[in-house]
Amino acid sequence: MKEGPVEQARLKTWSALAAQRRKPSEYEAVAFDTHFLNDYAQPGRSGPALPSLGPDTFVNRWYQKNLIDSPLRHDDWLAFRDPEEVTYRRYNIVQEGQENYVAEVLDRFSNEGHDAGLDAEWLTVLSRLYTPQRFVHHAVQMASAYAATTTPASTISHCYAFQSADALRAVSHVSYRTVELARAHAGFGFGEEERRHWEKSAEWQGFRELMEKALVAYEFGETFVALNLVAKPAIDEACVRQFGRAARRFEDSVLDLLSDAILKDSARSRAWTGGLVRFMAQKDGNMDLLRRWLAKWQPLGDAAIEGFCAGLPDGDRAAAAARQATREFRDSIGL
Amino acid sequence: MTLLQRSDWYDVARDTNWTPSFVSEADLFPPEMSDPFDMPKAAWAEYDEPYKVSYAEYVKVQREKDAGVYAVNTAAARTRFMEEAGQRWHSILKLHFGAVSLAESSSQISEGRMARFGMAPGMRNMATFGLLDEIRHGQTQLYFAHESLKHSPQFNFAHKLLGTQEWGAIMTRATLDDVFLGRDAVTTAIMLTFAFETGFTNMQFIGLAGDAAEAGDTSFSNLISSIQTDESRHAQIGAPLLKLMVKNGYKDEAQKAVDIGFWRTYRFFALLTGTVIDYFMPLEKRTSSFKEFMEEWIVGQFERTLLDMGLDLPWYWDFFLEDIESFHHGMHIGWWLYRDTVWFNVPAGVSPAERDWLESKYPGWNDSWGRLWSQIGENIRAGRTDLTVPKTLPVVCSFNNLPMVTDPSKPWAGKDQMLTYKGKKYYFQSHVEKWVFEQDPERYAAHQTLIDQFLAGRIQPPTYEGALNYMGLSPVERGKDAENFAWAFAGREPRTMAAE
Repeated sequence: MKEGPVEQARLKTWSALAAQRRKPSEYEAVAFDTHFLNDYAQPGRSGPALPSLGPDTFVNRWYQKNLIDSPLRHDDWLAFRDPEEVTYRRYNIVQEGQENYVAEVLDRFSNEGHDAGLDAEWLTVLSRLYTPQRFVHHAVQMASAYAATTTPASTISHCYAFQSADALRAVSHVSYRTVELARAHAGFGFGEEERRHWEKSAEWQGFRELMEKALVAYEFGETFVALNLVAKPAIDEACVRQFGRAARRFEDSVLDLLSDAILKDSARSRAWTGGLVRFMAQKDGNMDLLRRWLAKWQPLGDAAIEGFCAGLPDGDRAAAAARQATREFRDSIGL
Repeated sequence: MTLLQRSDWYDVARDTNWTPSFVSEADLFPPEMSDPFDMPKAAWAEYDEPYKVSYAEYVKVQREKDAGVYAVNTAAARTRFMEEAGQRWHSILKLHFGAVSLAESSSQISEGRMARFGMAPGMRNMATFGLLDEIRHGQTQLYFAHESLKHSPQFNFAHKLLGTQEWGAIMTRATLDDVFLGRDAVTTAIMLTFAFETGFTNMQFIGLAGDAAEAGDTSFSNLISSIQTDESRHAQIGAPLLKLMVKNGYKDEAQKAVDIGFWRTYRFFALLTGTVIDYFMPLEKRTSSFKEFMEEWIVGQFERTLLDMGLDLPWYWDFFLEDIESFHHGMHIGWWLYRDTVWFNVPAGVSPAERDWLESKYPGWNDSWGRLWSQIGENIRAGRTDLTVPKTLPVVCSFNNLPMVTDPSKPWAGKDQMLTYKGKKYYFQSHVEKWVFEQDPERYAAHQTLIDQFLAGRIQPPTYEGALNYMGLSPVERGKDAENFAWAFAGREPRTMAAE
């Protein structure tokens, strides 16, 4: 921020926003440049990130390596805006409505004895591919929370924070359904076998590899590519959208509708992801860097989709559709 | 309705640890970011967050809370209140928003770190909500301060302060860098959520909300109590961790983190709250003194909490109990004398009636701090307000950048408050700051106080005025006496002073 003295006796907005001429939105007034960490920690600055601590402390070396030394460049990182201008209060208004809808779905189908009617073939698929999803969504929750700590602007951090909470929402839905399914159907391993599937079943190893590696891709730019351009689109397309389609064919209306609900969060994530790519594209060289990281991560994403969809009925079609959708998303934002 | 209860599925949602095989455990949870004590998995498995909430409950409750907070703050109602509220209340708001808005916002980094690097899924989930909470606290307080800009450009410091080299900003950053932003997930949970939030902020927000209600600021009171309800939830991330540390043989490590975190944040707290309670609040609105508040809410409660947990009182506890009777008096006289170096107008708070109150709450106050104020009052009445503004910078603590203060009625025992490290001399506010420094000198030795920056030639021209500009303070932003010296003339009409 580093502002000098203000001479006006009457200000219409923060002095730091006065230069942009137009009246700031509520979002800008409350979200713009709220992390003093970024006064020192942005790609290309000299650091240290936390100047009151020694430059060789672990935390300062961490930010040096993972944020300040990032090869990405921008003349004004603070100028990034979430295209949907999600403030905290807006997030809760939207998500409360979403969760009321989900509760309504869960309640109604439970009253109608939905789970008792599920097909045995489908129950096997659910036990291998659905209830273990709490691990993959939790990994997204963790990765997004980390990413929120390591960005050049609070407006980027906030987007990641809401994405982390969205993933916790997905974990909650899966966990809830795990208990319902376990109560309705003993013998399928619901509530017991999920960790084993996540760690050992062939369908999950691609996603586990992708997420474990994404979780340790600590550098700001690579985190963004691994998580938001590859892993999340792959998970959303394979584990949520294609899985939801399969649910529809097996008359699992609950999962069909829950998937659609989660995809609304994915759409919000993609809106800002696209916004951040376009923002970075303002500076020469950044798109090449993003493409180079993509070349490294996309094969992992594709393999994860392939492995997971192999467990779905009509898996080849599902894998092709999921892969295609991740490409279309990246194409739509110039990658 | 046949919805499941939260308790039916909650444990499933926090059974999300797995054994990695594509990367190493040490890469996934680097000890320096995660658990530097390398506690066994069996110990971590005992982590049980006491305050449980689901995502659906969270967004519902938080939406409702925000609806309440923003509805009360209708622009018209607030404007009327603000115009009628005295300068003292404006000063309290400016001080609070400046020191707190971006500090809370930056705690997002702390919560994010615990949400990623905490070793227990329950801890990670609670910190995910904590991460959202801190966005809320940053955004709602910035919203309120932004609405108040029409009353004074000093409210701009809600957004500006922590990006400046203003001395209070340097102090705040030094504290936050060390305690909130610069630690691993375990130590953050202890220092931020336990030592600071459980120890201080939870109670501070209750107290401040009460003060605001007394002052008639229902809108701010409502905001602050609403924030407190979030604090009381996410402040509980640290306690279960401390319990399992004590139980599994990591008491010394836990104790040290508590001792450091508590002391560092106590200084921040005393600076903000001690001065407000005993000097800023209009006399007729005061409910208790800072010392009484501390003894009732902080000391008693925190002592019980520590002992219940199997921890000891910090080794400096006796000194702490003495310090709450003096430190903030020194800081307040510092605010006032150096009022042009702060972003709010400083009430002296020492009219004759207020002096009586201070003497009754702090027996001996008149003979110590009161003597200084008597001289200041005489200078003002003699038309020599120039004598009330220091023209040089004070000696500051190398560690926290606060002016060194000592009870004027006692001799200064300074020898325990300095040391030389790698050829540089360091001065400390007390022997406790010195002790913290000694725990990890390399961590702290590079800290540049305002005086260090002055001596390094960064303040140009190297004058007092140059320093004010360096701190980001123009004449319209600099603090003045909040009551235009009226207090010095109380009961001594006619008044002859010109306006400051």
